[in-house]
Order: sequence, then C-alpha cells, then structure tokens
Amino acid sequence: MTDWLFDGVLVSLLLALAIASIFTKHLFNSIMLYIAFGLLLAITWARLGAVDLALAEAAIGAGITGVLLLSAYAQSNSDNDQLQKRQMPWLAFAFLILILIWLIQAVWSLAGHSTTLIDLSQQALPESGVSHPTTAVLLNFRAWDTLLELGVLLLAFLGARQLAIQPYKLPTSWPLLTVWSQILAPIIVVVGGYILWRGTSAPGGAFQAGALLAAGAILLRLTQIIPPLSWHSLWLRGLVLMGVSLFILVAAATAFWGDAWLQYPLAFNGLLIFSIEIAATLSIAATLTWLVVGERRTLHP
Amino acid sequence: MNFALLSMTLPLMTALVLLFIHRRAGSVVIIASLMSLAAALAALYQVHLFGVQQMHLGGWQAPLGIRFQLTPVNSLLLVFTALVHSLVALYANYSRHSITNTTDFWPLALLLHSSLAALWLSADLFNWYVTLELLGLAAVAMVALSGPKAYRPALHYLLLSLAASLSYLLGVALIYGRYGFLDIALLADVTQADATTQAALILMTLGVMLKAAIWPLHLWLPSAHANAPTAVSALLSAVVVKGPFYILWLLWTEVAPVELAQTTGFFLAIAGIAALIWGGWCAIRTPYLKVLVAYSTVAQLGYATLALGLLLYWQQTQLLVALWLFVIAHGLAKVSMFLVAGEMQATLGSKRVTALKGATQTMPVAMFAFSVAGGSIIGLPPSGGFVAKWTLLQLTLASPIHWPWAVGILIGTLASAIYVFRVIVISFNRADPLAPDFSPDRFSHWLAMLPALMAWLMAVVSVQLIQFLGGLP
Repeated sequence: MTDWLFDGVLVSLLLALAIASIFTKHLFNSIMLYIAFGLLLAITWARLGAVDLALAEAAIGAGITGVLLLSAYAQSNSDNDQLQKRQMPWLAFAFLILILIWLIQAVWSLAGHSTTLIDLSQQALPESGVSHPTTAVLLNFRAWDTLLELGVLLLAFLGARQLAIQPYKLPTSWPLLTVWSQILAPIIVVVGGYILWRGTSAPGGAFQAGALLAAGAILLRLTQIIPPLSWHSLWLRGLVLMGVSLFILVAAATAFWGDAWLQYPLAFNGLLIFSIEIAATLSIAATLTWLVVGERRTLHP
Repeated sequence: MNFALLSMTLPLMTALVLLFIHRRAGSVVIIASLMSLAAALAALYQVHLFGVQQMHLGGWQAPLGIRFQLTPVNSLLLVFTALVHSLVALYANYSRHSITNTTDFWPLALLLHSSLAALWLSADLFNWYVTLELLGLAAVAMVALSGPKAYRPALHYLLLSLAASLSYLLGVALIYGRYGFLDIALLADVTQADATTQAALILMTLGVMLKAAIWPLHLWLPSAHANAPTAVSALLSAVVVKGPFYILWLLWTEVAPVELAQTTGFFLAIAGIAALIWGGWCAIRTPYLKVLVAYSTVAQLGYATLALGLLLYWQQTQLLVALWLFVIAHGLAKVSMFLVAGEMQATLGSKRVTALKGATQTMPVAMFAFSVAGGSIIGLPPSGGFVAKWTLLQLTLASPIHWPWAVGILIGTLASAIYVFRVIVISFNRADPLAPDFSPDRFSHWLAMLPALMAWLMAVVSVQLIQFLGGLP
C-alpha cells in the first residue's frame, strides 16, 4: 500500500513538473522546474532498481544540464524571456494524445517478454575483468559504443567552441562562497574518485564521477580559485582529448597485435578497463567544466 | 577487415593529434585522407577476393557484443567516403576562396570521416544510434563554421537532428524490448509483423528519414547546406545524408518482415517521386545558386528513395545496384557542383543565379565542370547517373503495369534537366557579361572538375561495378 502511495505521488509529481516546466511563462522558472524534474527522475530510476541510471541522471541530467541551462540563460538577453503564446494548443494536444495511444499499444505487449541477454552477460562476467554487469557492458562487451560516446562529447565540445557569443561577465563571488567551495572541493574529489573506483564492482563509473568532478571544478572557477580555462592551454587540451585517445590507442593495439578490435588481453583486462575509466573521467570532467565556464570566443560588434 | 579498420581509425587519430598540437595543417589532413583512401581500396580488394567479412568487436559473439561487417556495398561506400574527403580536403587547402582554413574545419572533417566509416561498418541498431549522433553533431558544428549568419540554420538542423535521434532511439528500445537483440542478422530471423515491431520500425524510419532529408522531411536541408562554407556543403550533400540512408536500407531489407516491407516500399516509392517533383520545382524557382544545388540534392535523393521503395515493394534485390550507384554518382557530381557554385559565388561576389551571365567567357573551366556534373545529375549517357537510372528503368519498363513509375522517373529527369540548363543558358549570355571581382582561381576550377569526371568514368567501369555489387549474374 505504501509502495503504491509513494509511486503514485512520484509519478504524478513527475508529470506535473514536466507540464509546468513547459507551460510556465518565465524561462528562468522553467529551468528551475526542469532541474527539479531531473532530480525526481533520478529517484524514479532508483525506485525501478536502475541505480546506475539514477546516479547518472542526478549528476548529468539534473546537475550539469541544469547548470548549462542556467549559464545559457545568463548569456541570452533576458528582456524577451516571455514565452510566446501558442496559437493552437488543442490541435497539438490532440495529436500528442493519438501518438500516446499508439505508443502505449506498442509497449503494452512487452510486459511479458524477458531477454536472454541478461543471462548471457552474467555468464560472460567472470571473463570481463570487472564484477559489475553495467560496467562490463559499457567498458568491455559494448566498449565500442562507449568509445564513440566519448567522441560525441568531444564533438559537442568542438561544436560549442565554434560559436561566438555575446560577451558577458561572471558575477563576483562573495567571501562565504569562496570559503565554502574551498572546503567542498577536496570532498568532491574524494567522492568522485570513490564513485569511479566503485564502478568496477557496484553502481558508479566514469560518467557519474566525471560529472561530479566537473561540478567541483565549476564551483572553483566561479569563485576564481582556478584560472580561466582556455583552449590554448596544453593542459586543457590534454585533459579533454585523453579519454578518447587512450581508448582508440587500446583499440588499435588490440586489433593489430591482439586478436580483435577492443579484445583486451585476458590477464590485463581489469587494469586496462580501469585506466580507460580514469582517462575518460578526467576528459568528461574537463569537457563539462569548459562547456559551462570555459573561455569562449566573443562576438565583435 | 584490418584495412577497413585502418581506413576508419586514421582520420580519427589524425584529428586527435591535430587538436592536441593545435595546428591547422591542411596538408596533414590531405595525407591522412589519401592514406585512408588507400586502406579503403585495399579493403575493397579483399572483399573482391574473399567475399563478405565479419568481425566481432572485443571477441564477444553477436547478441552480447557488436558486429562489424564488410560487404561489397559498404566497402564501396568506404572508398567513396575517403575519396570525397580527399577531394574536399584538397580544395579546402588550396583554394583561395576557402574560408575554412582559419577555423576548426580540419579536425571536424576528419571526425566526420571516421564517424561515417564507423556507420558503414557497423551492423548493430544501437551502435548506429551513436554513429548517427556523431554524424549529426559534426555536421551541425561544420555548418556553424560560417559564422553568426549560419547559427539559425545550424540550430534548426541540430534540433531536428536530435528529435530524429530520439525517435530512432525509441524504436531501437522497442525492438530490444520485444526481441532482446540489437544485431541486424539475428533480428532478421526472428522479427514478426506485430504491433510493437511495426511501431518500432515506423519510429526508426521517421528518424532516419528526417536525418537523410527524404521528402517530406527535407525542409531543414536547403538552408543548412546553402549557408555552410563551400567545402562543408560539398561534404554534407555528398556523404552525410547518405549515412542515415544506409541504415534505412538495411533496416527494411534485413530487419523488417517482408509483408511490412512491401507496404512501406510503396509509400517510400511515392515519397521518392514526390521528392523528384517537389525538389526539382524548388530548384527551378530559386534565385540563389547554392540553394539550387541544395534543392537538387533533395530531388536526387528522391531517385535513391524510389529505388529503395521499389526494391521493397517488388522484393527485387538487384535494385540495390541502382540504389547505390545513384548514391555514388550523385555524391561525386554534387561535390563538383557545390565546389563550382562556391567558387563562382566568391569570384563574382553575388549569390544569385543571374550573376552568372557570361560565365562561360570569364570562367570557362568552372562552367564546364558544372555542366559535366549537371550531365551526370540529369543522367545523360554515358555517365554514372545514366548507368544508375538505366538499371532502375530496365526493371520498371519490363512490364506494362510498372510504367506509371517510369513516368515519374521521366518527370524527375525533365525537372533536373530544366534546372541544370537554366544555369547553363544564363552563363552563355555573353552579350552582357558580369565581370568577376578578381581573377578566377583556375586551379580550384580544375579541382572541381575532377569529381565530375569521375562520375562520368563510373560509366566506363559500370559492368565491373554492377558485378561487384551483385547485379549481373
């Protein structure tokens, strides 16, 4: 009974927040509601037993995405933040209801199906070098997907780098925040490192740890404890590129000297996976930090 | 297989090195593209010798891991991609009018090359989603290279591309929930025509159709392709829209059950005819040269869609020859047309078609390249476009019930002839020539001629090509 009550409240809150964040008038309120929506979605994933997804959603979906939206909001001119009045909401609404019915009847019959893939991955787990199935899928069974995902992140970074933006100033920080972030930063590093290390045996891993480290770095940058992040700095370039570089080097080495593309040698697979994860974490952290507070090209009026 | 992997990895590694040392070295990119081309040719030769090849990534068999395959079609596409990238890199490095030299064009082009190669090689529904994301992001970033005026088309492209990705991903999730596999060869044996499969296929099809700019989901293409820098437009039109098309082809020929494929084939064929007519009509009407070339891409994709639709509708697998010959012939001709359009636009200082008055006099080589490429687009014999159209028409004309389709093809051909000749006629108006702003860049004009000549050379090796793709017995 209490389960049903909890789930019911969760689902109705999710729906209410989603609708509110679309229909609210001010862009700023909309972003706030969206961040709250992300947090509730993380709880929903946890409730469904997908702890990995819950962690990722909390760190990336609610955390970093929210900060990105806020920084984009700060850069846009806030005079015309009134959302446009929609002309024909009912037509769109009716269309969406039809799509929803169509999708529900497609999904409904899936309830009874179970997949054999879970058993297969459990059987292969001892040979994968890690003991957590999600990490085994991401870094070994389907490592190629993860390599390409790191490429997606790199391309997002390069794409954002092309855009010249209106110059805007970061707000000056007040003393309390500076002190507070100095205390917080080492804790974030420890927690991030723990989540990364935990990933081999339990929920956690590179993306979540990277997002957490990025949050710490953003805080330090906003309080001007660390210097501006410029693409001209060799350090930043090295950090952003190291994840995908190490991954592709391992892939090429295993293809040309080993047995197959990305087939790790059995003796080293745990070590290789862990070093790739460390490199990926640092790359993700550096990229996300730059996306929020990096030095951008500015428009010359 | 290792040669194909080399062809994919070389551009990626070069891009990473270039980004790390922070140099914009065009010559390095040209060398990397040419080496990738050599590796792709070696892979093609291997397929010719030993037939289809498979590779299980990480050594994990198909349901657990990802499978790469090397077939005649995708080995040819690998060569085609590397060839187009080499030509465009040559142009971008040596043309005086290329504005991409001072930007991040080089690493982005290399990453685009690798993403395309990864897409061709893969045979896994989810892995395709990731490659589609790579392709979309690289393309959007490259459109944005031309500065603030291109931000709006780039943003439209990005939003539509993301919506398309989500639609595709939802379809993949439904397929995975229903069957528990993502590998297309495994799915081919088990798919049934039930409600879930149908919904999943429709969602995936809508996603890739939007990304491939197939009519009626093509509206983003003209502004995005016309506003991008010249070298980027050439890449986008020649190869990028073909990536999602490859997925569409394998989705319906391998994964989909036959009865669903037949109904969809009919609608795809109709969409193809509509694209031919609508794209042709818009290309005839537009006052701008690059928009004309971009609409011509919409129209020409109609031929490929029509070939795919008829392939599914009639279940005639030999139509895949027509389909892929269209794609390659159009790609080569389109590189040439975009390079010429960009060059003439920069030399004349005007974007309008009417500015080309007397261009045969002031820029004969460029105009000749445009006409040669246009000839292949129309399908004049003996060009690659003709060979492709002929393989399609042969089957269509074989029995009288199929003749209505032939009428559609002929109307499309007429439209393409009109928009190509519209440009050529204006350029022969020598009475009142528009003087160029500065002296034309002869080398780039000859460079733009190269892919057009290759499109015609396809006719010389057409027998071998058709045999290689499995058309002739």
